[in-house]
Amino acid sequence: MIRGLRTAPGGSIALLAIVVLLGVMILAPIVFSKAAAVFNVFDANQNPSRLHLLGTDGLGRDLLLRLAVAARLSIGLALIATAISAVIGSLLGGGTALLPPPIRAVGLRFIDTMLAFPALLLAIFVGAIIGAGAAGATLGVGLAGSFYIARVASALALSVAAREYVVAARVLGVKGLAQLTRYILPNIADTLVIVVTVAVSNAIVFLAALSFLGLGVQSPQYDWGAMLTEGVQQFYVTPVAAIAPAVVISVCALAFGLSGEALARSLNPLLWTGSDSARRPGAPVVNASREAPATDKRMDSKSKDVALRVSNLSVRIPTGGASLDIVMDISFSVAKGEMLGIVGESGSGKTTVANAIVQLVPYPAVVAGTVELNGQDLSKLTKRDLDRLLGTSVAVIFQDPMSSLNPTLRVGVQLTESAEVHRHIDRGEAERVAAGHLREVNIAAAEQQMERYPHEFSGGMRQRVMIAMGLMNEPDLLIADEPTTALDVTIQAQIMEVLRQINRDHDTAIVLISHNLSLVSQNCDRLLVMYAGRIVEELAITDLANALHPYTRALLAVVPDVSRPPDQPLDFIPGHAPHLAARPAGCAFHPRCPLAEDRCRIEVPPLLTREAGGRVACWVANKDLSGKSS
Amino acid sequence: MVHGPVASIARPRRASSLGVSYRLWFSFVAWRLVSLFVILLGLVITTFMMVRLIPGDPATIAGGVNTTPAHVAALRKQMGLDDPLLTQFASYAGNLVHADLGISFTTRQPVRQIITERIPSSLVLAGTSLALVLLCAIPAGLLAGALTREGRHRRGELIFTGTASVIGSIPQFLTATFLAFVFAVWLKLLPVAGSDPPLQSLILPALSIALAPAATLARLVRIEALNVLAQDYIRTARSKRLPARIIYLRHVLPNVLTAALTLGGVILANLIGGAVIIENVYARNGLGTALVNAVLVRDYPVIQGTILILGIVIVAVNTIVDGILAMLDPRSLMRRG
Repeated sequence: MIRGLRTAPGGSIALLAIVVLLGVMILAPIVFSKAAAVFNVFDANQNPSRLHLLGTDGLGRDLLLRLAVAARLSIGLALIATAISAVIGSLLGGGTALLPPPIRAVGLRFIDTMLAFPALLLAIFVGAIIGAGAAGATLGVGLAGSFYIARVASALALSVAAREYVVAARVLGVKGLAQLTRYILPNIADTLVIVVTVAVSNAIVFLAALSFLGLGVQSPQYDWGAMLTEGVQQFYVTPVAAIAPAVVISVCALAFGLSGEALARSLNPLLWTGSDSARRPGAPVVNASREAPATDKRMDSKSKDVALRVSNLSVRIPTGGASLDIVMDISFSVAKGEMLGIVGESGSGKTTVANAIVQLVPYPAVVAGTVELNGQDLSKLTKRDLDRLLGTSVAVIFQDPMSSLNPTLRVGVQLTESAEVHRHIDRGEAERVAAGHLREVNIAAAEQQMERYPHEFSGGMRQRVMIAMGLMNEPDLLIADEPTTALDVTIQAQIMEVLRQINRDHDTAIVLISHNLSLVSQNCDRLLVMYAGRIVEELAITDLANALHPYTRALLAVVPDVSRPPDQPLDFIPGHAPHLAARPAGCAFHPRCPLAEDRCRIEVPPLLTREAGGRVACWVANKDLSGKSS
Repeated sequence: MVHGPVASIARPRRASSLGVSYRLWFSFVAWRLVSLFVILLGLVITTFMMVRLIPGDPATIAGGVNTTPAHVAALRKQMGLDDPLLTQFASYAGNLVHADLGISFTTRQPVRQIITERIPSSLVLAGTSLALVLLCAIPAGLLAGALTREGRHRRGELIFTGTASVIGSIPQFLTATFLAFVFAVWLKLLPVAGSDPPLQSLILPALSIALAPAATLARLVRIEALNVLAQDYIRTARSKRLPARIIYLRHVLPNVLTAALTLGGVILANLIGGAVIIENVYARNGLGTALVNAVLVRDYPVIQGTILILGIVIVAVNTIVDGILAMLDPRSLMRRG
């Protein structure tokens, strides 16, 4: 843990400061207490000089020496107070966690309530009972600080108490205090150390504050707080007399506080930066300096009716040296009213393609290539037009409806806002439109539902809401990214029915992204198969039986089939999809491919157009093809 | 926008919507009322017991230094110290119901009068500090979060976090000392003590109280903003291509606030504790100075009264915070009870 402390930012400085402070606390009173007491009224209230580096107090005593000597009481009493807090807090917190649930709830509530009262106020209160002085202040600060430690200890103990070996010990008859001292406390000790370190910092501050108010250490004894009080009285004569103890208290509090934080950070880095879990909106589409868009020729002929055209789309994450390619050289188009399926294992890049189309690729990924919606090249639009086009002509339905709706906003607001923003219609009109779309996705009592919050809906209902939300601006294209994966099977069928119906009624093109080939083949007109960031095959669903790529054929073979005899084991594709950073050279599928040849291990096969329609990227399959570059 | 930019962001909630979660609200309010009552009872018992826990005889203390045994005996009778504990408590609680907090040992003023004279000054100070904390910390934290999301501006993140943690760990009475030195002693811009002139004399105390909690809250808001910005529902909002103003104010802010508000009680406790001590630093006539002076001269009725009032204020404010939290995040209603 100490090593972690030193490597954490600021940790080593804080550690050094603590060592110095503890050294001063132990040694200074032994060495300097006599010298610090020497007074000379002729030297009273001097500003800093060579003889007195920080000047003198009202009796001409040297301030620097007094500061050093005062370290013993200031830090020492704080350590005693913290010890009181630690003992009471860990027993109170740990003990509460072990109580039977109903009593435990009361205990936890009590700790929470006590935390709501300012610790300083509690300390003053306890001090008032015992009487103003060092003893009362220390006990008061100790008691006040114990609730904070108890709160943390109870939370930690609750999680430990649920662990199997503690449960086992309980079953074996280890009870009460033994359970606490033998099983719970040792397991939460490391985290408690952090909390206690921070508590020392608080105790130093509170004790200084009490002394400053005259409620703590009493004359003739003195600590930093008492010195501050004296200093402030001479503020206009010798400001150093006030500033110096203030700085020392601050440094002391910082040293203990920051080392506590550094400890915590070294134990749990994610908690403190919070930046490793984030998903980010995308960088703008960069126009690639590549050759002209290459897509299926049948699509090209009626380019007016193309809802979406993607050309040479690549997404990569720039790392230190080489960049990681997530998807490479993706080109395809979707006709108006068409349902296109994109199939691939997780990690194949299909979701990244969807995100790249709507410019939601996480930072710091870089997108290259062109995306055209309704014939408009997104990279050529101004920000305003881009927002308008992406906001109105395309909508995305995400995988997890449980997390895709904002929990703090009514469903109605979330439904209507995009129409209000992009179509400038007023709230009431937008609500009428929203109600219509809710009915369309088979949600009854639409008006009432709009007043509810997402948590009042089931998963299937939420996905319907997401679909209705997508329909608000009558988009030409709906991208559904695993829209049913998070839902159970009966709900899946209903959601797919809704999507088919929208496709039929509004002539909305739909891109259905799924790992489930049978789902796609039941619902789509055409299929793109992705593997390791590339399109490996494209074909009409009606041609599925004539698939050429070994990966597509393997996918078809593993689709479970009710006609299969029950005693026959299910097929699977041998091997694993390659990791992003370790994709094989040549055709990425070759290590798993039964047909792989030497060439497959060296060169990436181009995606070539087949005579019969469709495209395939495979050296073996392409042997029979004319070799036209698509 | 038809409603204008602000109206369209802060949408008023309709009364009819209460119907859906009416039962949840009812149980929430009932729960809060019960716990409020229990806490207040605890407060009353604690302040009552305080005088009985003092080492030595309260009557002797009340009599002052030059008291006689006969006077002490009279005082004991007058204070009811010879009665059984329950009778004493009943009369204490009964007096409280009539807002009778007793008479100060030292000034012989009714404690109620001392408190009503001093509470406005304390409320103004605490309120100003609270406003400063919220108005600085939330925008600063949100902005820092937006700028540093997913590893953007790593250096800026380090500077922000470092500065905020240093400022956040400087104790308020020391901030007060530093600020007084700079603005009152050195630059001679602002008064160092007292409550006159009202506005200028408020600046340094309020800043002293607010600075550290504001820095801590800003850091917390940034981390919360990062968490919220990484949520799926923000991706949904971004997929609608809403203006940044709507994304941040409507979609991000309420979620950040609910997380920040769960710490609101701790921050408020910090502010009120800070106000008690800062009043003493700047010699303002508030509850804090009354309390500290009372402790110094062992004026127990004043201690009881101020502690009780401060406690009630804290409990009330926490209840309000819980209510706001429940309105911002309806899910928190279900977590209760």
